[in-house]
Amino acid sequence: MRETLERFFLGDRVTTAVVVLLVVFGTLMVRSATFGTRYAALGERQLLYAGIALAVFALASLIPYSIWFEYGYLLYAGSLAALLAVLVAGRTIAGSRSWLYLGPIGFQPSELAKAAAALACATVIRDLPDKGLEGRQVALLWALIALPMTLTLLQPDFGTSTTFLPIAAAVLYFARFPLARLLKWGGLFLVGILLLFALGWFTFLKPYQKDRILTFLDPAHDPRGAGYQVAQARIAVGSGELWGKGLYSGTQNRMNFLPAPHTDFIFGVVGEETGFMGSVAVLGAFLVLLGRFLSTLRLARDPEGRFLVLAVFALLLYHLLVNVGMVLGLLPTTGIPLPFLSYGGSFLISTSFLVGLAGNVRSRRYLS
Amino acid sequence: MMDRTDHPDFEAKVAFLKFATAALFVLFGVRLFYLQVMQGATYRTLAENNYTRTIVMRSPRGIITDRNGRLLCRNRISFSLVLDTAKEGSLEKTIAAMNRILGLSMTEAEVKAALRRSPVPSLAVLARDVPPDWLQKVETHPDELKMLRVETELRRDYPSGPLASHAVGYVGLLSEEEAAALQVRDPDPFIEVGKAGVEKTANAVLMGENGRRTAQVNALGREVEDPRLRLPGVGVQKEPVPGKAVRLNLDLELQRILTEALGEESGAAVFMNPSTGEILAWVSLPGFDPNLFSHTVSARDWQALAEDPRHPLLNRPIQGSYPAGSTFKPFVALVGLEEGILTPGTTFYCPGGWDFGGHTFHCWAKGGHGGVDLLTAIQNSCNVFFYRAGDRVGIDRLAKWGALFGLGSRTGVDLPGEGSGILPSPAWKLSRNMGPWYPGETLPVSIGQGYLTVTPLQLLSFYATIATGGKRYQPRILSGEPRLLSSVEVSPSTLEVIREGLERVVSGGTGKACHIPGLTVCAKTGTAQVVEASAGKDTKLLDKAIRDHAWFAGFAPRENPQVAFVVLVEHGGHGGDLGAKIARAGLEYLFFGKKPGEAEEPSAGPAPLEARGRAPSPSEG
Repeated sequence: MRETLERFFLGDRVTTAVVVLLVVFGTLMVRSATFGTRYAALGERQLLYAGIALAVFALASLIPYSIWFEYGYLLYAGSLAALLAVLVAGRTIAGSRSWLYLGPIGFQPSELAKAAAALACATVIRDLPDKGLEGRQVALLWALIALPMTLTLLQPDFGTSTTFLPIAAAVLYFARFPLARLLKWGGLFLVGILLLFALGWFTFLKPYQKDRILTFLDPAHDPRGAGYQVAQARIAVGSGELWGKGLYSGTQNRMNFLPAPHTDFIFGVVGEETGFMGSVAVLGAFLVLLGRFLSTLRLARDPEGRFLVLAVFALLLYHLLVNVGMVLGLLPTTGIPLPFLSYGGSFLISTSFLVGLAGNVRSRRYLS
Repeated sequence: MMDRTDHPDFEAKVAFLKFATAALFVLFGVRLFYLQVMQGATYRTLAENNYTRTIVMRSPRGIITDRNGRLLCRNRISFSLVLDTAKEGSLEKTIAAMNRILGLSMTEAEVKAALRRSPVPSLAVLARDVPPDWLQKVETHPDELKMLRVETELRRDYPSGPLASHAVGYVGLLSEEEAAALQVRDPDPFIEVGKAGVEKTANAVLMGENGRRTAQVNALGREVEDPRLRLPGVGVQKEPVPGKAVRLNLDLELQRILTEALGEESGAAVFMNPSTGEILAWVSLPGFDPNLFSHTVSARDWQALAEDPRHPLLNRPIQGSYPAGSTFKPFVALVGLEEGILTPGTTFYCPGGWDFGGHTFHCWAKGGHGGVDLLTAIQNSCNVFFYRAGDRVGIDRLAKWGALFGLGSRTGVDLPGEGSGILPSPAWKLSRNMGPWYPGETLPVSIGQGYLTVTPLQLLSFYATIATGGKRYQPRILSGEPRLLSSVEVSPSTLEVIREGLERVVSGGTGKACHIPGLTVCAKTGTAQVVEASAGKDTKLLDKAIRDHAWFAGFAPRENPQVAFVVLVEHGGHGGDLGAKIARAGLEYLFFGKKPGEAEEPSAGPAPLEARGRAPSPSEG
């Protein structure tokens, strides 16, 4: 009886609670970050997005997740079509052609493609005869992921395209390779990345990308440009001290010192206005979510569900690592938003959908 | 079927993910603790420095009026274009955008030069007195012109232009050296200080003190109004103290009359109350328009002023140094009488020259004056009499008395840049490594030539001292209590002789042009030789550039003198006429209220100056 209630009204209670808290808090933060600026309307719009996102979350939590696999390939094909369409007819914002408009409603097909790619991979796993991944299957899934990732890179939206990588990593982690071998490969991969980076420095990296890396290594490198953002974000977080300056009272945020406060640097607003306590609480909420996913890995009743949870875990972890790491000055500046908190409808909805699915996998663990 | 049991390392993989996730969150937590708890106070200060800016509350400079309250200087509102390099942005792009949007044509080098001149290293005033609509133009391009702003300031305005320019002076932007000297530390590029004239000497009174307030600004430098963001410490730190108004002793009307009387000539005219030192008129021609300096003087304008062969920036009454010429003769007579070497009856024969040491010293009258006594010698300005008188008195006595009367030293007038002239003596000559004093060198000094030079104000001071009977007052442009410099002991009988001689100069001698019915004017003419060649020649035939300077100095009325004066006309030829006529214009105004060009009114004699309300205040003695 309790399980039935959970299934129909709550999904996984802990996941639901955390998601609702984060969405509400995020909407508040976006409003504070846009209050009194020319972006003030975005705060209102985020309220609408939050409503849609919670509805989508409810849908993903309640409908038996196996149903999605029936449409896994179709969704995937649809997302590819949307990615192609955006390359042809997309709207260019901030230098990337990443927005597709259907009448007045705009969305980012890359966000849809991310969810679709994860779903498609899970569907493939479901359809495998022995439901296990060996090298050949890994290659197939990677190809599935590489396709939308490449299309996203063509927009060009480097930041978003890298968010396909955690799904690819989940595939590899999910395959039947021993941990030791994976760690060895991981190490080699890191070395390879460094070599590629060294090569890229002299060939394909754009000046602004080099700038960001230089600034990360030495914030004094360009105090007026990229270094300015990094320094101001750090000042915002640090000046929040233990309890924060209070909602709407962050001077770094409200007086335009913090760059992109409602999108990439929203965690700076959290740090400044809610202090150490608020920041730790937000990170704690994410930690609860991640821990929930990890324990679901053991509980999931089928491999495709388990993979889905792993992929969502990887995505969430990647966003947290890169975004919070950037705001705290631990990683170079990249345009990766913070799940549930950053402004943006497509990302909020796709994240809610995926997290809802992961919760769904847990809540259906006893059903067969 | 892949099961978690048949999946190799399943538990290990999950455990590894747990470990990695925990590690990441511990890292984040530690970082947050470090930034917010351990370094929180530091970052709070950094954040406060971000948004607080000290804004200077400018104190208006005091106004300047003449003795009757007529405005010589006031303030007007003006807009200036300011560059703030503390704002983020590219200097190069800003200059390009500025030139395009505001229609300027400034180069990067010019902008950098303005930055170097500024007492605030990050701020530079690029243009002053810009049209008010630039304010809007700059505001409407917040991105391109982020580094620029248009500020309101109060600028100096001199309604009478060049009239009294040397007395009033002018202001300019505070330089770095002045900031150090005046101990001004305001972060404001608009502080103006007096650079000349009363603007400089009374700078401390006129300037007042700037106030300071802390303002909250956003990243664009705009002030933040939201009370929720209001922080302690924001607000007025110090109210500005406005500069005080300054009243001058000048009479603007007298100033105008004398300036017009001098006309196109170069020269000086100073009128002073001898028994207080109050300066009633301070004319130095050619003048300049101080409003020019109130706009930032362009290099070209400055060069034009500085290189003008007529030296308009020279404050002639104190910076011009001229031979005193015959105006020095009464002094020689005074020394001779006081030292008992001359008497009123001392008579010398003037054949038109005097041979001394194998050299003939000429009198200006070629035919000679015949036998002349002391009074006649003053009246007709006989050179031979004073060659011989000076020879008897000797250079040492002349130097001793000259020092008592303040010759060769500054009068201490409250204007900057005063020169001291030269009072020659054997000691002076030795100190200049010019060898011993020869008796023949005393002769030219006795007629106000030779090594002797004076400033017009020194000469005025001498005649004022004769007028007061020995009391020397500090000449003062600024109103205030009279200041006695010294009292020279001169016997009344000597003074009477000198005054008598001076009266005769005007009533029937070389200064007849200044004869005013109803007023006994005591004065002396003088001719300062510009070059040796002109000696004894009719100066009207000479080129203007080498013509002699004309002097006229004295006081009036003889009894109870109320005004002393000096007039110098550069290259004015013999002093009798031109200088005397100029002085007369001033005296007629002062004593009879007569302005040139007005029909002569029948006058009931010398009306007391006090009755006219424009008089120098009577001395207390």
